[in-house]
Amino acid sequence: MARTDLSDDRELTEEQKLFKESISDWAERNLPLERVIEMNREGYPFPEDIIQGLAELGVIMGPVPEEHGGMGLTWKDQIAIAEQIGYIDPSIATAAGFMAVETGWGFTLNRYCTEEVRKKYIQPAIKGEKFVGIATTEPKGGSDVAGFESTAEKEGDEWVLNGEKTFISGVEECRRMGGGYWVNVRTGPQIEGAPHKNMTSFFVPIDADGLEPQEPYDDAGRGSLSTSGFIMEDVRVPEEYMLGEKGKGFYHTMEGFDLARIMIGASAIGVTRRVLEEAADYIKERETFGKPLAKYEGIQFPFVERYTEMEASKLMVKKVADMADTRYDEEGWVERTGKAQTYKPTEIAKWISMIKYKVPHLAKDTADDAMHWLGAAGYSSEYIFETAWRGVMSYCVGAEGGANIQKIVIGRETLGKDYVPYK
Amino acid sequence: MRFVVLVKQVPDTTEVEVDEETGTIIREGVPSTLNAFDEFALNAAVDIKEKTEEEVEIIALSMGPPQAEETLNKCLAIGADRAILLTDRAFAGADTWATAVTLSRALKKIGNIDLIFAGQEASDGNTAQVGPEVAAHHGLPQVTYVSEIEEVDPKEEYIVCKKERDEGHVRIKSDMPAILACMPDPGFEPKIPNVREIMKAKKKPKEQWGIEELDGQEDDYGLEGSESVVVETYSPPPKEEGIKIEEEPEKSVDELLKFLDEEGIL
Amino acid sequence: MIEIDLGQCTGCGKCIKVCPVDALEIDDGKAVLTGNCISCGVCVSACLEDAIEPVIQTAEVGDLSQYSGVWVFAEQHEGELKPTGPQLLGKGKELADQLGEELCAVLIGNDIKGLSEELGAYGAEKVYMVEDEIFKNYSTEAYTTALTSLISEYKPNIFLYGATHLGRDLAPSVAGRMGLGLTADCTDLNIEEVEGRKVLLQTRPAFGGNVMADIVCPDSRPQMATVRPHVMSPMEPDKDREFEIIEESIKVKEESVSTEVIEVLEPEGKSEIPVEEADVVVSGGRGVGTCEEDFDLLREVADLLDGTVGCSRPIVEEDVMPKSRQVGQSGKTISPKLYIVCGVSGAIQHKVGIKDSDYIIAVNKDPDAPIFDIADFGIVGDLNEVLPLLIEKLEKAKEN
Repeated sequence: MARTDLSDDRELTEEQKLFKESISDWAERNLPLERVIEMNREGYPFPEDIIQGLAELGVIMGPVPEEHGGMGLTWKDQIAIAEQIGYIDPSIATAAGFMAVETGWGFTLNRYCTEEVRKKYIQPAIKGEKFVGIATTEPKGGSDVAGFESTAEKEGDEWVLNGEKTFISGVEECRRMGGGYWVNVRTGPQIEGAPHKNMTSFFVPIDADGLEPQEPYDDAGRGSLSTSGFIMEDVRVPEEYMLGEKGKGFYHTMEGFDLARIMIGASAIGVTRRVLEEAADYIKERETFGKPLAKYEGIQFPFVERYTEMEASKLMVKKVADMADTRYDEEGWVERTGKAQTYKPTEIAKWISMIKYKVPHLAKDTADDAMHWLGAAGYSSEYIFETAWRGVMSYCVGAEGGANIQKIVIGRETLGKDYVPYK
Repeated sequence: MRFVVLVKQVPDTTEVEVDEETGTIIREGVPSTLNAFDEFALNAAVDIKEKTEEEVEIIALSMGPPQAEETLNKCLAIGADRAILLTDRAFAGADTWATAVTLSRALKKIGNIDLIFAGQEASDGNTAQVGPEVAAHHGLPQVTYVSEIEEVDPKEEYIVCKKERDEGHVRIKSDMPAILACMPDPGFEPKIPNVREIMKAKKKPKEQWGIEELDGQEDDYGLEGSESVVVETYSPPPKEEGIKIEEEPEKSVDELLKFLDEEGIL
Repeated sequence: MIEIDLGQCTGCGKCIKVCPVDALEIDDGKAVLTGNCISCGVCVSACLEDAIEPVIQTAEVGDLSQYSGVWVFAEQHEGELKPTGPQLLGKGKELADQLGEELCAVLIGNDIKGLSEELGAYGAEKVYMVEDEIFKNYSTEAYTTALTSLISEYKPNIFLYGATHLGRDLAPSVAGRMGLGLTADCTDLNIEEVEGRKVLLQTRPAFGGNVMADIVCPDSRPQMATVRPHVMSPMEPDKDREFEIIEESIKVKEESVSTEVIEVLEPEGKSEIPVEEADVVVSGGRGVGTCEEDFDLLREVADLLDGTVGCSRPIVEEDVMPKSRQVGQSGKTISPKLYIVCGVSGAIQHKVGIKDSDYIIAVNKDPDAPIFDIADFGIVGDLNEVLPLLIEKLEKAKEN
C-alpha cells in the first residue's frame, strides 16, 4: 500500500518545494525515524554529523542576509524549512536546537551584534562549527522575562557579569563545539513598576573565564539535545559583546522570542503531519474485529479533526510568517520580501502568541490520540508517537514561553492593557 | 566545454494504474520526479565540472509538459548552469523516434557540444532508446550503460569510461564529442542540493522552446511524427495467488519437491 | 541524410577518409555526396569545419509490400552464440509462417562460420553472414553500418533483436540512423491484421511491469523490436534442416569506429552462466549473509539444477557479488523458468526484475515478506535449514 501523504505544497514557491525535498532526501539517508528514536533514547549531546549535515543543507539561520553569511531567505521560506525539520524529527530536538534557538535567536543576534561577534561566532554557527543559543531563564524568573537578577557592571572597557541561568537548551553541545549565549543582565537598578528597564543583552562565550556550565537535567523528552544552565562569576566581556543598545535588552529579547516562536509553530505543524501520516499507515492496515481500525468512527473522526486543525494552523503559521516578513523596513529586507512594514510589532506578537499556544498543543494532542489508536504499539518506542509526545510537550510547558504567557499576550492585544492579569 | 544533460520528468513511482475504461495510464495525483538515471547522469556531469580546470557549461535539456519545469529547477539546483524545456502541444504523444528528433533538433540549435549525457533509461517507459537514437541523428559515438566517467580530455578529444556489458564491466575509450547513456552502480547517492544552491538556481537562465524555435513541420513531432503507435494499454493479468507454507523444514521441502514435480519443472 | 555546406567546406578530404561506404568524393575542391550514403553521420563529427550537418528525418519507405522476411539478429561474443538468437528464431518461425515469408538470421563477427551452422539447425532458412576483422569485437558504429547496409539491400519486413545490453545498444542505433520505429524489451509478438495489412503487434511492459502496451509500427519497415531474453523458446535444433549462408562483404574503415574497449574489468569464468541466460537462477539477499561463503548453499542448489546464482542489490553494495549478478530494476531483468529466491524481502525494485519468471519459489523467515506476494510457492522458514534438506533430497532424486 502506498504511504499516506498529507502534505499539500501547492502554495509553496518552487524553491520552497525543493527545500523540503532536499531535507527529506537528506533525512532518508542520515536521520530516519529509527535514528530519531535511538538518539532520543541515547541522550545528549546532539550528534555532530547531524549538525554538520544540517549546516551543509543550509537550513540554519536562512534569513540572515547574504552579506553576513546567511542565505537571505524570507520567513515564509524559513517556515517551509522548519515545518519539514519537525516532520523528519518529531522528537523536536532538531527543531528546538536548530530552528528555534539557532535560527530564531541567531537571526536576531546577528541583527544586534558587532562585526567581531558575527565573524567569531555567528558565521561559524551557520557553518555548523559553533553553537549559539539563548539564556534568559533564571531560577527566579522564566515566564516573567523581566524578573531576573543577573547583573553587569562596567569596569574600564569591559563588563563584568554575575548571576545564574537555568533550563537552557544546548549548553552541553555549545560547550563541546564552542560558541556562546545571548544573556540578559541588569545594567542599572530595577525600577518599581517598570522591571524591563535597565535590561541589557550581551553575547557571552561559553568558554569565558568564570562561566561554569551545570549538569544537564534528565528531561522527559527531546532527549538528544541537552538542557542545563550556567553560573557566571565575574565573567568579563568586552564592550563589543553588548547586543544592541544599553537598556534596550527587553525589546531585543522580545524580538528574538517572536521569531523563535514562529519556528516552533511551523515545526509543530511538521510534527503533527508526520504523526498523522504514520498513524494513518497503521490504522489503514491493522484490523480489529474483522475490519481496519480506520473504518471505526471512534478513530476516523478524531483523525480528521486533528487533520482539519492542522490545516487551519498551517494557514495561521503562514499568515504569521507573512507578517514577520513585513516587520522590518530597512534597506535590503524590503527588497527581499517585496513588502513594506505594515503591522505594529505588538500586532505581530499577538498572532505569534496564538500559534505558539495552539500548534505545539495540537501536535502533542495528536500524538496522544495516535497512541490511543495504536494501543500498546503506540505506547512503545517501536513507533514514533511516544517520542514525539514527550518531545513536543517541552513546547507546551515552557520552552520559548509557556501557553499561559501566550494567552496573556493575546488577552492584552484583544481586551486591552487594562486587563493584563499581573498588573 | 559544453555539456548537455538530457533529463525527463517521470512519475515518482512505478505503481501506476490503467484506467480500465479508457485504457490510458492514470497520472492524476501521482507525484513527479527527476528520472533517477538522469539524475545520475547530471551528477556525473557536475562531478567533471567540479574537478576539471576547464570552463564547463552544463545545460539541462528536457522535453515535456510545462510542469516539467519543476524537474529542471531541481537540475539547476544540483548544478546545471542553464535549462531548456522543449514544450509544445505539437510535441505530445511522441514515441522514442519523435522524442529523439525533437531533442536532436534542439541539440543542433544549442551547438558546440562536447558531451551529451543521458540516463540509460527512464523509469516510466524503460525503452533505453532515446540516447542511441540521438547519437545516430548526430553521427556521434555512443557509450551505453556507463557507470563511471574516468577521464575527460578535451584537448586530445577523448573520454574513458567504465561501462557494463552483458559479460561484465569494461573500460572503454571514445572520441569526443560523444553521447553517454549512464546507469549507476549500486550504492550511488545523488547530490542533495542545499538551500544556497536552490536559491542560486533561481537566478540561472531558463528557457522554453516550442515548435517555432526548432526547424521542421508540425508533423515531424509528437504523435504525428512517431513511427510506433500504441494500440492499447492495459493492466497485466493478475498473478494467481501462490502457495505459502509454514511447516517444519522437512515437510516444507517435501511439499516443494511435490509442487516442482507436479508442475513438471524438474 | 546529410547536408554539405559548400561555403564552409575546405575540401580537406577528412570526410572521405572516414566514410564507411565511400559515398563522398572531392569535386572542384569541395566534398560532394554520391548515391551510396547510408546516413551514418560519421563524417559529421569528422568534419573540422562544421560543414556537414545531419538532416534528421524519417526515411521514405515507399511501397511497404517490397519488404519481406523475418530477420533475427544472432548475437555472438568471442565466437560463442548467445541464446537470444535461437530463442528469437523460435518465435520468428511462427511469425514467418503466418506471413508466408522467409526466416533469416544475421550474424556478424570474424571467423564465425561454425555459428551459421548452428543458426541453420535452429531454423534459419538463410543466414546473412558478415565477417571481417573490424567486426571481431562489437562496436556500435561498425555493427550499425553493417546492419543498415543489409537492410537497405534486402529490405526485411521484421527485424528482431535480443533485449540484452548489446541489443539495446545496437537496435536503437540502427533505428535512429534509418528513421525506423522500434519497440523495446517486448515480451510477446503476434501478427495482426490492421486495416487490411498484416502487421507485427508488439507487446511490452512499461512502468516496471505495472502496465502492458500493445504497439505497432504502421509506416516504417522493417518493423523492429528488441525482445526480452528467455521469454521465447527455441526450436529443437536439427542439423538436417536446409539453409543457405549468404556471405556479405561489408567494409567499415577503422577511422569510422570511434570507441574502443581498452580493458576488460570483470572477466567472468566461462563456467558461470550469466543470470539473464540461465534457465534456473538461485538468488539471495541480505538474509543469506554478507560474505561469499554464505552463498555456498545457494551455489550447490544452483549446480544441482544446472542453474546459476544471482543476488539482490545489497549484496552487490557489500561487494559479495559482482554487479553482473544483480537481479532487479537497477540490475538485470530476468525471466528464467525457475527462480529460487532466499532471504530477499522483496522490495518493489527486486520484484520488477523477476516478475516474468515462469515459477518463483521464495524462502524467507518473515511470513509477511512482500516476496511472498509474487511467489508461486513460498516457504516460511530458515534457509539454513531448508536448503541443506533441499540439496539432500535433490541429490537423492538425481541418483535415482
